[in-house]
Amino acid sequence: MTIDKIQLIIDMKAAASGVLKADVATFRGFSERQLKAIAQQAVSIELGVATRQITDETREFFLDGLEDMALSFAKTLRGLILVTIEKVWNAVVSVLWKALSTATGLVLPVPVLSD
Amino acid sequence: LKEITVNLINRIASAGRFLIVAIAVVVSGCAVQLAPPYDKVVADGLVLVSTEAMTLIATVSPGSKSDTFSVRAEKYDGLIGKVEALAIQAGARPMPKNNVTDAINRSLDKRASQTLPDDNFTPPSAHAIKKVAETLTKMRDTDRKQGITASEAQLFKGQTVIYLDQATTYENFLQR
Repeated sequence: MTIDKIQLIIDMKAAASGVLKADVATFRGFSERQLKAIAQQAVSIELGVATRQITDETREFFLDGLEDMALSFAKTLRGLILVTIEKVWNAVVSVLWKALSTATGLVLPVPVLSD
Repeated sequence: LKEITVNLINRIASAGRFLIVAIAVVVSGCAVQLAPPYDKVVADGLVLVSTEAMTLIATVSPGSKSDTFSVRAEKYDGLIGKVEALAIQAGARPMPKNNVTDAINRSLDKRASQTLPDDNFTPPSAHAIKKVAETLTKMRDTDRKQGITASEAQLFKGQTVIYLDQATTYENFLQR
């Protein structure tokens, strides 16, 4: 049995698209929530300082927190992207190896990259 | 002659199969792991500490006085302990590190206007959970020392929610 190249490409695209469609929605929702909340935090700090509701005890803590929250958001987003790349990669490899197994009549376990 | 022909066809077929497999290995590579495994204990722990944190912050949201701190002291300590333990658990999982993760991180850094600090050995959720513990600790210490204003309570809540959202989103996303 030979591999149908066109069908294989369609199957690989479908596998990748399925993962991407769901994950991009998660990225969008997460980013919107985070950016709105961080912006609100900045506004509240400004207001609190202006009205002296934020004391000297906590002002620097909240300002440092604002910077770290933005950095932590970026790191989390990078972590989410890595998970998605992993899912897309493995979905495509899985389709490919399934096609190969069918074509060769051999049971081919998908190898895992160790390093 | 028939036997030789069959033998030859089998050898060609076998070589063809080997060739297909060899090409697949070279072209497609292997399955990869680029993120730590999902840990249900961490995910469930986040739900628990989120509820407890929001409940505690609600008690001081109108503002608090230091002379009533003793009423809240035990709740603060218990919650901070749970969050710190959760941060240790989340950070204890090894981050996969291989040529693929290195290449992707380099590529993402190139696209960013500012390079992210090279901290690829800890899951981002572990950092976020640690920051939740630091936020609650600062809140407790301020409450004990001078009480908390309503604005400060709102900001402590905002910071806690942002970090909890980061940790929860990442941990749930690992369920793949």
